[in-house]
Amino acid sequence: MSSSAVEAEAPDLVCQLDSVQGMVDALSAVRWKRHQDAVVELSEHGVVLIVEDTGCLQAKVYLQRELFVRYEYNAEGRPRFGVSLGLFVDCLNSFSAPGRSSSIQIQYPGPDMQLLLKSVDSHDACIYAEIRTRIPDTISWDYNFEPAGGTPLTFTVKVLYSLGVIISAALKEAIDDLEWPGSSIQIIVQPDPPCVTFKGEGHGDLQIDFTYYVNTDLVIAFHCDHRVSYRYKYKFLRAITSNLPSSVIKDNRGSKLSIGRGGMLKVQHLVSVARAAAASHPHVDSAGHQQPSRIAYIEFFVKSEVDENN
Amino acid sequence: MCNILYCCDKFGTLLRWDLQESTTTRRGFTLDSYHSTTTKFGAIFYFARENWKADMKFKAFLTEHGVSLLERRFLPALDKMGKICHLFLTRDHAIFLHNLLNGDGVQCIAQFRKQALFDDYRISSQNEDRIAFAIDVSLLLRAVRSSVSICTEFGNGPTANRLQIKLVKKLPLNCTQPMPFLTFETKGYKSAVVQDVPISKPLSRAEVLELQTALDLAQDLPQTLVQVPDLNQLQNFVDRMKHVGDLLNVSVSKYGDLHVQISTTLITLGAEFRKLLVIGEQAESPSDDRNLSAQTRSERAISRGDAQRVQVSVKHFSRSLQCHLAKPDCTFYGIASQGSCLTVIFQFFIPGTHQTDKSISLHCRLPVLDPGSN
Repeated sequence: MSSSAVEAEAPDLVCQLDSVQGMVDALSAVRWKRHQDAVVELSEHGVVLIVEDTGCLQAKVYLQRELFVRYEYNAEGRPRFGVSLGLFVDCLNSFSAPGRSSSIQIQYPGPDMQLLLKSVDSHDACIYAEIRTRIPDTISWDYNFEPAGGTPLTFTVKVLYSLGVIISAALKEAIDDLEWPGSSIQIIVQPDPPCVTFKGEGHGDLQIDFTYYVNTDLVIAFHCDHRVSYRYKYKFLRAITSNLPSSVIKDNRGSKLSIGRGGMLKVQHLVSVARAAAASHPHVDSAGHQQPSRIAYIEFFVKSEVDENN
Repeated sequence: MCNILYCCDKFGTLLRWDLQESTTTRRGFTLDSYHSTTTKFGAIFYFARENWKADMKFKAFLTEHGVSLLERRFLPALDKMGKICHLFLTRDHAIFLHNLLNGDGVQCIAQFRKQALFDDYRISSQNEDRIAFAIDVSLLLRAVRSSVSICTEFGNGPTANRLQIKLVKKLPLNCTQPMPFLTFETKGYKSAVVQDVPISKPLSRAEVLELQTALDLAQDLPQTLVQVPDLNQLQNFVDRMKHVGDLLNVSVSKYGDLHVQISTTLITLGAEFRKLLVIGEQAESPSDDRNLSAQTRSERAISRGDAQRVQVSVKHFSRSLQCHLAKPDCTFYGIASQGSCLTVIFQFFIPGTHQTDKSISLHCRLPVLDPGSN
């Protein structure tokens, strides 16, 4: 075949997802405002979507290629494009039908640099979409996470989920409760007693302690060398948990919190993107835990207000 | 003292008023208000000619099936179409009409042959036994619902707990003028309940004519109708896609394709349903169309004259789908001639069969926002 200028090249990416709802859940977790511009980066490893707020809050959604039923990557380098997050999620949601698994194919770029989507599992009903993209601005800060001091300061908080109609996670609940005191929340981590404390002072005071050894079903791992204390704006902490999908609660997931140099807070959630009929899925083992390949990683980075570390 | 007065109203009609009989006149007018003046001829009474005539009557019994149809299916659906509708009663039909006299919203027509809802149906008026008035659908639904809950007692005989509905004029508290109501009366074994649903003043002869004309126009069927295979699927899709934009392009082709699409500067999102059942004018889809994109296929069909496309409001489209609450057996979409509106027709089968129940009809007409392309 002769290669003329008119002949179409293979698109950078053609991928197929067997459950749209999982992707909707993962991306919805980083929606905290009505209008958010996201940057999408494609690579041979998967898709990353990044959103940011005023240089103080950044969220990333990692969708590894193993999540996709099909992932054909043909680009050189890592193409990046900007897209409206709300529009992308609302559009994906239109492909989803309750009680049915819906497969979609995503392709980039289209003839006009658009993102192309279409349903692939239907019998004479076809849903399609084209979303306009733009050249992204450079992300103002791409945080390389560094541990404070020489030793990583990490702790894992396993959040408690109540079974039943009302779903609540301890972290989400703590942050929800902290809305009442005020706009600046102090997070204190100390080794003795091993405890993570959330403190709000404003219209009244509220202190919530998660103590290792005491709340063993809430805190499943803990590590801390010296006391650290930082303040964060409430609205940014709120953004971290406000749109946690219900699957996170049903699956009894833990959210990992880390504080690094200068008080940078990192929170990582795990969102299952498996199909609704996960019970029959070959990847699910007898304990009911999902294999990592069916998980999307969501990371939030929040800059602290004042470095109070002593 | 004289008991008989001869009066002349503003329109020059000579009337004989018998004081002892109080308010009835020879011509059957009910006097609600009047003015009087004293002249050398004695008192002369002037009164306004009323639309309400004492011989405007409506009375019927709702059958059990009729109550069930209204309470469980049709009134909940009509409640979604709009707060206020017209109820148009004729010798043979009871028709609920939304937005027929004002231009903007979704028009909805629910027509019942009297036997579908009523027993012992009696109607009379000076306008060929037609009566029409406006009513709040939610109040009507509430009245029917509470009547149903009362009708649990078993009395003697077949008429023991029947639900009677009639047109009355009553004087409510804090009012100087009697007001019209549609009254529901339930007589149980031990209790009787009367519920009055307020209605508007009945429409004048001219207004009824306007309504009838609009109704006749609304019965015009599109030439091609396609059947929706799965109403739930369509409703689910439209409920989600309406977050993406406000305007919906709908195209219907003679090949049996229904294509709905939202298109804004940032996004195009659409769904195409192919090989649907067609009623009316149909055509074979050209074989080379098979592998085209939905958009191209629609464009080509339109340019061949085999399809029409119109633009409607997503909100209107979504609202008309609320008619699913009436539990129709089939749903059809079609575009009226010249692209004047988008019509959706809901069909009901006789229970236990696949035959259309011709005593019930429900359809909506959506206003078109853009002159459609032919």
